[in-house]
Amino acid sequence: MNDTLVLMEGIDKRFPGVQALKGCQFNLQRGEVHALVGENGAGKSTLMKILAGIYQVDGGTITFKGEQVTIPNPHTAQTMGISMVHQELNLMSHLTAAQNIFIGREPTKSFLIDENTQNNKTKEIFELMNLNLDPTMRVSKMTVAKQQMVEIAKALSFNADVLIFDEPSGALTDVETAELFRIIRQLKAEGTGIIYITHRMEELKEISDRITVLRDGLYVNTVNTRETSINEIINMMVGRVIYESSPEIPEERSQEIVLEVKNLSRGNELKDVSFQLMKGEILGFAGLIGAGRTETARAIFGADPVDSGEVFINGKPVHIKRPSDAVAHDIAYLSEDRKRYGLCLSLDLKTNIVLPIYQKLSSVLGWVKDKRAYTISKNIVDQLSIRTPSLEQKAKNLSGGNQQKVVVGKWLAKDADILIFDEPTRGIDVGAKQEIYSLLNELAAQGKSIIMISSELPEIIRMSHRVIVMCEGRVTGNLDYSEATQENIMKFATMRNGGNAKKSAQPS
Amino acid sequence: MKSKKMLIIASVLMILAMLAACAPAAETPTTVDEPAVEETLYIPVISKGFQHAFWLAVKAGAERAAADYGVEITFEGPESEAMVDKQMDMLQAAIDKDPAAICFAAVDSQAAIPLLEQAQAKGIPVIGFDSGVDSDIPLATAATDNVAAAALAADKMVELIGGSGEVAVIAHDNTSRTGIDRVAGFKDRIESTYPDVTIVDIQYGGGDHLRSTDLAKAIIQGNPDLKGFFGANEGSIIGVLNAVSELGRDDIVVIGYDSGQQQLEAIRSGQQAGAITQDPIGIGYKCVEAAVKAVRGETLPKFIDTGFHWFDATNIDDPDIAALLYE
Amino acid sequence: MKANSSTQQKKTGADTIQRLMAFGALIILFVVFSLASPYFFTLSNVIGILVSTAVNGLLAIGVTFIIISGGIDLSVGTVMTLSAVMAAVTVRNWGMPNIFGVLAAVLTGTFAGAVNGLMVSKLKLPPFIATLGMLNVARGLSLVITDLSPIYFPLETGWNRIAMGSVLGTIIPGFDIPNGVLIMFGSALVAGLILSKTVIGRYAFAIGSNEEAARLSGLNIVLWKTAIYAVGGLFVGIGGVIIAARLNSAQPALGLGYELDAIAAAVIGGVSLSGGEGNILGTIIGAFIISTLTNGLRILSVPQEWQIVVTGLIILSAVYLDILRKKASAN
Repeated sequence: MNDTLVLMEGIDKRFPGVQALKGCQFNLQRGEVHALVGENGAGKSTLMKILAGIYQVDGGTITFKGEQVTIPNPHTAQTMGISMVHQELNLMSHLTAAQNIFIGREPTKSFLIDENTQNNKTKEIFELMNLNLDPTMRVSKMTVAKQQMVEIAKALSFNADVLIFDEPSGALTDVETAELFRIIRQLKAEGTGIIYITHRMEELKEISDRITVLRDGLYVNTVNTRETSINEIINMMVGRVIYESSPEIPEERSQEIVLEVKNLSRGNELKDVSFQLMKGEILGFAGLIGAGRTETARAIFGADPVDSGEVFINGKPVHIKRPSDAVAHDIAYLSEDRKRYGLCLSLDLKTNIVLPIYQKLSSVLGWVKDKRAYTISKNIVDQLSIRTPSLEQKAKNLSGGNQQKVVVGKWLAKDADILIFDEPTRGIDVGAKQEIYSLLNELAAQGKSIIMISSELPEIIRMSHRVIVMCEGRVTGNLDYSEATQENIMKFATMRNGGNAKKSAQPS
Repeated sequence: MKSKKMLIIASVLMILAMLAACAPAAETPTTVDEPAVEETLYIPVISKGFQHAFWLAVKAGAERAAADYGVEITFEGPESEAMVDKQMDMLQAAIDKDPAAICFAAVDSQAAIPLLEQAQAKGIPVIGFDSGVDSDIPLATAATDNVAAAALAADKMVELIGGSGEVAVIAHDNTSRTGIDRVAGFKDRIESTYPDVTIVDIQYGGGDHLRSTDLAKAIIQGNPDLKGFFGANEGSIIGVLNAVSELGRDDIVVIGYDSGQQQLEAIRSGQQAGAITQDPIGIGYKCVEAAVKAVRGETLPKFIDTGFHWFDATNIDDPDIAALLYE
Repeated sequence: MKANSSTQQKKTGADTIQRLMAFGALIILFVVFSLASPYFFTLSNVIGILVSTAVNGLLAIGVTFIIISGGIDLSVGTVMTLSAVMAAVTVRNWGMPNIFGVLAAVLTGTFAGAVNGLMVSKLKLPPFIATLGMLNVARGLSLVITDLSPIYFPLETGWNRIAMGSVLGTIIPGFDIPNGVLIMFGSALVAGLILSKTVIGRYAFAIGSNEEAARLSGLNIVLWKTAIYAVGGLFVGIGGVIIAARLNSAQPALGLGYELDAIAAAVIGGVSLSGGEGNILGTIIGAFIISTLTNGLRILSVPQEWQIVVTGLIILSAVYLDILRKKASAN
């Protein structure tokens, strides 16, 4: 009996000016989790988009359940039983979760959409996922993580034989990822073939049975997870050996308080948030999605209003009502969603880097000193080794890692003293992550104070001098480097006592 | 990449093809190198509009004259009578074509004068028509005597409302000659001759159907005793008709100006008492005729009256009247 | 990476080609019309084209600033009219010198723009609605102030010469380019510099490209948007001066529909309606393409209704070209 679900052989794919895939192969068995890894640009997503009918092959064959097939569009793929959860969110933000999940195949009752059935079915899927989410909630009101869960629910709703996950855990916290893994194992046991694209090496061991590695559009190898070490896989991916440097946490550090936040509150999202940030410190912010970490950062930065609370910078009280006030106090905020909040994608690198300091770079009449702007951005590009053909390169044409560096560069140019990094390594490949880490260390060594919000616990533990843990809008833990273990952090991150009380008070 | 460029080039070619397709059709009127003994005279006619039924009738008359006298004409006008500068562009282009003569109805006389002086300097005779031009430059103006025509409308109005009561007026504007003359003609006749009749309101709707409708409704609602309504051009009267039927006030005596399908139907059905018709075909015909005569060096009277007539359900189908009406 | 950078160069190449394309289209229009009619390429007619571009060109410059910042301005036509009316009131009714008339017009335009900007940035009204409101307010005010009839400038003020006189003609005899045309080119130059060389221009691009990112970079959005709309309004005010001088009067009913020509010019010139992209040179070329086309078809005596059809097709082709270009640079 043949258990091969999918067999892709000799796959070629060209985009204008780029050979994205060259002679790639891939096979998927029934009831296995097959991880697909490789650096950004290796061709993982392209290969899977071909399988999902989004791209057409330029060469090679696809065999599905023993028959050679062509997959002209995503609809065909879905009816065949191939479903994909995309890396980018493809949801219609004005529709509800249920409406998104059943878009194009709404259950009807005498020509009218049967919202009840739709919502109930959605509820069932959410329950299967152990997800506490209202099917009638509009997607625009959800966090990125919850939107991701809706995408996953949508893929599940097709009852597909082949499920492709393109970096699903990128926006998820560890708890949510664990939940996702539970669902994956369940599906696997039912005989579904699962393809899992990821950047997180630690996940490979946990979830996958086999691993296929791609590099620069070429097939490298397929290995059994159990017989291979992470280092070997990384070597295959990058074609060179990477040494993971261990964190250098200084024993003695400054006790000078740069930023102090007292009793920051807003509705249910923030409740009496207080903490201190020392000079030259990397302060990790851990917690589950929706714990209020991003909200805290945005509130400090003046991006969103607060009901009450005080902020002190270098011991002096400040009133930050809008981001321009925060910038004036040398605070920088690097959003988790670079493309939406960090970059002007259609503008060039240079403009993006000097955007916060244009007014400084101009004469009385508002005339911009372009040479100065050029020099400054050139320095930043060199300092951060941003890989770009020129300073006139548009931001949208850079890779994720380089885009992140541009956002960092922007605040280096501004010479901000307090930098708030929100998920600085999300969607960035292994090599670029290392560079971001060493950059953070370097900045801290220079005396900059850093708040790093991250949903990846290993990252938090490795990088932070201290860790603030939040849960449901409250600060539940303040851990020193020595105390910050996975177990400890998770304990504080799930300390929901306040939450229970609130829940019973809420009308259901 | 290559295919994209091809597409871009293809689109440009498409545009050029359009132009090329238009060009030969267009050249017919301007053909200069025909081996004819006498060069065909070219006379651009620049009116105040081109979509309106009235202007289409003027155009028809102008084309008839062109056929009778063997000249070529073009007929143009701005999309709305507010677009003074667009009409200037048209006049400028017409002058640049070195025509034999120009027929012109100014939207704004003052604004046109520098260009008309330019035409005069180039020796191009200018003939005014309809509202004409407020200036000495035109050798002649072919137009309706609007003051007298509106006075006739006033006489008919008083007769139909029984010699006394309230009436109102909606006109297109108070800047053009026709607007000023028709309002003045109507108003002066009522004030001087019929002391028992009062004009309760005079409003301007720009000749726009919808705006005129709203204005007329407001006037009727504000003056419940209103007995008669005069609409001073086609757009205005359609507004009045709409207002009367929307408010169910069929008792109001409605008198209009010009023709057009909607107005003709209203007169036939009795909703409208009658109207003053100008002779738009005659206006078009006589202005081109005058232009030809001017080129030939004939002396022209300064004002060419093109005539006007009262018509109602009784004479609407008389051949003499029907010839002047347009749908 | 290597493959990437080489496609990058190709892309910038394609960009330049597209920009040249608009200019090329204008040249082709000139050549075709010149061949088709002996009356087209005459000094008088070319000056006619220049004059008829001046007003739309200025409005298009104004609207370019606003579209680049991610907004839209429907009020440019009637604000132009209101500016003209204010100039006429200042010069005729109050008997002040022409310079005050010019100032009144420019200030009116700038003020209306600033109000638009505040409505959009501070009150968060959608630009379409805010400027639609302004369109009507300005139109209504023009009618109220003039009591519905045009205000004519007394000939002795020489107001007409602001646009229709020719300073150039007195310097170079025979070269009678009207001042209005020079004013448009001068304004275009200044606008181009503002857009490409000053903070306000940079911020227009940044806000149009990603308003939230600009805000989080510490830009005071209310301030800068207001400034951008005000600068746009300034050029609209200059447009008001030119049209008032050309017609030697302020025509209160004029201006409706002019906003669409201005937007069309900007779009033909490559300004992206989604913001963040565009330049003044393109806009001016766009304005010239529209007026050259209208004039040329007129000279060829193409029936008026067909002129409108062709103009529509040109706008569609230009936008389609823009989409092709975007596609090319996205791949």
